[in-house]
Amino acid sequence: MSRLEAKKPSFCRSEPLTSERVRATLSVLKGIATSCYGPAGRLKQLHNGLGGSVCTTSQSAALLANLPVTHPILKILTTSVQNHVSCFSDGGLFTAILCCNLVENVQRIGLTPTTVIKLNKQLLSLCTSYLKSEACGCRIPVNFSSTQILLCLVRSILTSKPACMLTTKEVDHISALILRAFLLTIPENAQDHIILGKSIIVPLKHQRVIDSTVLPGILIEISEVQLMKILPIKKSDSFKVALFCVSLSGDLSDTGEGNVVVSYGVSLESAVLDQLLNLGRQLVSDHVDLVLCQKVIHPSLKQFLRTHHVIAVDRVGVAVMEPLSKVTGTRPIGSLDSISPSSYGSVKELCTAKFGFKHFFHLIPNETAVCSLLLCNRNDTAWDELKLTCQTALHALQLTIKEPCVLLGGGCTETHLAAYIRHKTRSEPEGILRDDGCTQTELQLIAEAFCSALESLAGSLEHDGGEILTDGKYGHFWSVQADSPSVVNWPDLLSRCGCGLYSSQEELSWSFLRSARLPFVPQTCFPCEASDSAGNLTLDCFTAKLSGLQVAVETANLILDLSYVIEDKN
Amino acid sequence: MAAAGSVRAALQVAEVLETVVSCCLGPEGRQVLCTKPTGEVLLSRDGGRLLKALHLEHPIARMMVACVSSHLRKTGDGAKTFIIFLCHLLRELHAITDKEKDSFFSENIQTHGRHWKKCCQWKFISQALLTFQTQILDYVMDHYLGRHFLSIFSSSTKERPLCRSSLEMLLGAYFCGRVGRNNHNFVSQLMCEYFFKCTACESGFEEVLELVDDCFVELKVGVTGLPVSDSRIIAGLVLTRDFSVYCPADGDIRIVIVIETIQPLFSTFGSEFILNSEAQFQTSQFWITERTKAIMKYLQKQNVKLLLSTVKQPDLVIYCAGLNGISVVECLSSEELSLIQRVTGLAPFVVPQASSQYELSNTAMVKFCKPFILRSKRYVHLGLISTCSFTPHCIVLCGPVQGLVEQHEVALHGAFKMLRQLFKDLDLNYVTQASDHNCTSSPVIYKNSRESNDLPEIVNGSIQRPYQDTVVKNKDELAKTQTYLEAYSNLVVPSVELETNTLCSTPTVTLTDTYQTDATLRCFSPDKARIMDDHEPFIESNSANSTTEYTRREISYENLQVTKNARKGSMLPVRHKSLEMCTSQSYCFSSVPAGCVLPVGGNFEILLHYYLLSYAKKCQRSEEIMVSMIIANALLGVPKILYKSKKGNYSFPQIYIRALHSLQTNQPMISNQTGLESVAGKYQLLTSVLQCLRNILTIDSVINIKRQPQEIYDQDSEEEL
Repeated sequence: MSRLEAKKPSFCRSEPLTSERVRATLSVLKGIATSCYGPAGRLKQLHNGLGGSVCTTSQSAALLANLPVTHPILKILTTSVQNHVSCFSDGGLFTAILCCNLVENVQRIGLTPTTVIKLNKQLLSLCTSYLKSEACGCRIPVNFSSTQILLCLVRSILTSKPACMLTTKEVDHISALILRAFLLTIPENAQDHIILGKSIIVPLKHQRVIDSTVLPGILIEISEVQLMKILPIKKSDSFKVALFCVSLSGDLSDTGEGNVVVSYGVSLESAVLDQLLNLGRQLVSDHVDLVLCQKVIHPSLKQFLRTHHVIAVDRVGVAVMEPLSKVTGTRPIGSLDSISPSSYGSVKELCTAKFGFKHFFHLIPNETAVCSLLLCNRNDTAWDELKLTCQTALHALQLTIKEPCVLLGGGCTETHLAAYIRHKTRSEPEGILRDDGCTQTELQLIAEAFCSALESLAGSLEHDGGEILTDGKYGHFWSVQADSPSVVNWPDLLSRCGCGLYSSQEELSWSFLRSARLPFVPQTCFPCEASDSAGNLTLDCFTAKLSGLQVAVETANLILDLSYVIEDKN
Repeated sequence: MAAAGSVRAALQVAEVLETVVSCCLGPEGRQVLCTKPTGEVLLSRDGGRLLKALHLEHPIARMMVACVSSHLRKTGDGAKTFIIFLCHLLRELHAITDKEKDSFFSENIQTHGRHWKKCCQWKFISQALLTFQTQILDYVMDHYLGRHFLSIFSSSTKERPLCRSSLEMLLGAYFCGRVGRNNHNFVSQLMCEYFFKCTACESGFEEVLELVDDCFVELKVGVTGLPVSDSRIIAGLVLTRDFSVYCPADGDIRIVIVIETIQPLFSTFGSEFILNSEAQFQTSQFWITERTKAIMKYLQKQNVKLLLSTVKQPDLVIYCAGLNGISVVECLSSEELSLIQRVTGLAPFVVPQASSQYELSNTAMVKFCKPFILRSKRYVHLGLISTCSFTPHCIVLCGPVQGLVEQHEVALHGAFKMLRQLFKDLDLNYVTQASDHNCTSSPVIYKNSRESNDLPEIVNGSIQRPYQDTVVKNKDELAKTQTYLEAYSNLVVPSVELETNTLCSTPTVTLTDTYQTDATLRCFSPDKARIMDDHEPFIESNSANSTTEYTRREISYENLQVTKNARKGSMLPVRHKSLEMCTSQSYCFSSVPAGCVLPVGGNFEILLHYYLLSYAKKCQRSEEIMVSMIIANALLGVPKILYKSKKGNYSFPQIYIRALHSLQTNQPMISNQTGLESVAGKYQLLTSVLQCLRNILTIDSVINIKRQPQEIYDQDSEEEL
């Protein structure tokens, strides 16, 4: 009997943002996010007092998944960041910091939420239309005939995750691997509609990072005992493969809702086994060379197949079933009786391989869109971090293929965008204030808050007490070491801007980011050779960053719009 | 225990609730964040949801919430306005009772207990409220407000073409109060576009609305992590699962629906399968395999390309389907199934028992069937070909957090509910005075009805008018009437419905001295069946004695109305539906036609306020005046809150004065608002609030019981019996 219990009344609070506690928790979250941001970001060690492994990370995905958040407002913020990360993999910290900055800055102004939200939305659409336009000065089109830009993008992602613990050499190696793995997933005979393949990340912990490698085809891990049983593989041009999704262990399938009565002396096991051996005979007569099964193969059937020089591998698991069927061109077989010959597939080559302490069975297909990325790192937590980073990089490459352009990284996009907004709101405020209700002063205030949120986001890339400058021509981001003399010739101290596009040779009228500056028109022209020659650009994924910007502003608007919080305490 | 001042207590409660809901009201309203006990966060501006989330303890508050939710079940809109209006009504009542305490009741304060006296007073007020609701409100709505109504249809012909811009305005205003202010424009445009895309032909929109309202959950796909602006409309139906096996196919794709496993099983429920030998087992397994293959082959021969299954199919079926080039989607929910069936009219495929040679009948065509990738998740995308007026489309709703996506979903669903309400007629029944010429024009036989000067009596809720000197002119006319009546005598009204009708529409007619001066009293309640009962004795008596004197006391005026309708040749069987039937103001049985709207921004409230005040001026009965004044003043509460933050020319007093001025000078009211809102919704809200208020007033004490609630247990035991 269920007991009906009276519900406890909920807890209702008005104007949640004005409370000191909320501000304090928001600034703690912001502090955590800011300190992790960028290549020089500090690592966080997440440690659960009740047990489990210790996680060292600086990535938003790992950080937010493990961080217990209790306050509903923070929950909104973190879930929105997490959802963004699950969509785009990259730009989680960017989104979180920008959102916190916006909320903080806007609160300081003290305008009504209606005005703030309306203007924030206007500014956001200003940003997105600028970033999407051809004239955008912080966007570089991707030329797919050279790998330079793609490599820069991957390298930027790798270096921005310091918890992977990679040396410069290792970064080079891994970024080359990632790019190769990505290129292997592009089908060779591409039509107008490309369906990308898959790169499977195979874990190989406690090995040197340099040992990581990319192989076309699929690696299936097998135990040493299994390996012993596998006969030496005969040389051939092509191997016939059968892939089963049904269990070959001889268990009785679903018998229906009624009863099945078995008379005494009738052995169903032998009946089923007979059936399996019949299946084996058919496979042998069809000249199948390799039998793969998602589930378990009966030992007798295995033995039978081995005696007929057929390799049988079972328990491959549901995760690799789809790539397997894609690679080999088989149709997963769900029948124990007659098998249609059209269900068989083939691979070009079969071999066993040993990487580290693990043995693998390697299937090399004729036409590949699937590859295996063997990823090594020294310890578990660094490996986890590296795996996440690789997935992020692969995802970023996929997104770049859809939208063939990249944004400048290293804080330059943010400062440039801030300069652009400042200029726009000063020069043509009427265009932004199309609809009624807001004054120009309000626009200036909000634009200043918006721009300083972007700039302090760029500023949080600096963790070592250095000064941040911006130039008066391109609006890029420049950082100076902490212990530099106060009055100097700037070009001597600066070398290149944050993204590496411009060098300090030009006279660019630098000024401190925090100081007040006159608005200027940020130049949009690139040095023509920049996109080709500059080898060490820092780049960001366009789609992820654009969406991160939108999500950050939308979430900030959402938080600013809250007038009550009702907490259900049941 | 006993709540000494129930109005005061209720007022306190309502004021607290008002402060919570008023922050979300109107275009300037803000969001409320609710957390669920499971830890999920939810954003909402939906009054009903907020009130529920509060889990209130106070008994009166709980009653109010119950009233609100029963109102919402009916209309799906207006929870916030409900609370605000109720609060203002209570405030007015409180002010009045405070005043009267000094003047009216001070003399006999010794004779009665204070509490009892108050209760009597409230009882009295609640009676007056009932009178107001049944008589004055409908009368004012019909007579005065009616002329201000706008219509969502661009012309008033039979086809009733929808006016797109009006609908946009209506939806815009609706979403202003429902979703965050940075998204309402986008969501309302999305909804508008969706509605027009789904509506294949102009006339079928009611059917579309009904279907979308019923199956909305299946017609939307929520995606988190993308900006709201990525939401879009997709042609066809998206099922939130992947293909079990997908075979690309072009051209005409035939689909079948199965609701059982295609592979035969050893035994069905309640039966036994006895295995006597291994060979028997093997042959039966072989047979099963062959049979499954044969069925799939048969489906392939019939050109079936897609199998939709409500159950999980065995591996063998999937394998055979793949071999035969048939795509399979498994585990459809029953709601999805019913949606597909409603759209295509497709019946489930029955696995043929014998070897099947005949043509497969239960198939439908789809334009396409392909995987659909959203946020790296695969869905099934079907281009169903519709057999009804609904062209299948899906809404993909994006948002950074689940709470926001859910809010948009709820708001969209509510909007469809609101539209459905809007396209229904709203009946108004009331008692009024009819002028002479109307009476003479409507009845043919009873020419002398104006001679009847008797006062109407109230007997059992229906008015029965004595005809003492009704003269039937001649037999010809009588015969004529008879044919009319015969034409209608095959009208069958279920008696149950009749009873409920009479119950809900019993007008309590109170006599006023104005009745004496002129004319007749007419009352129409929709209990036509009673009329039909009346016909036969009436005719018999007439034909039996063709005397000129006829003094049957049973005939009510409904008869006249029916005969008149019959003469008009109208084919409305049970209820009067459209306004064309009752265009003249003097008809007491009228309706607000479907699609009536008014501009937003408190227009309805100000109009009703104005006309109630002017009615009160003409009225002579003190309690009617009082109630009308109370309600008229309380009505202004909503626009007051709406214009709270506005300054200067748009502040509430300015708007109010301008509106009154234009009403007095008979100029059209100029509204600075662009939105529209449904009149029927507002009317229903008003009646629900009045009902709730009556409930509150009639309670004299609240008894607190401290015991485990036993409701569920009792219900269970009853069901078992």
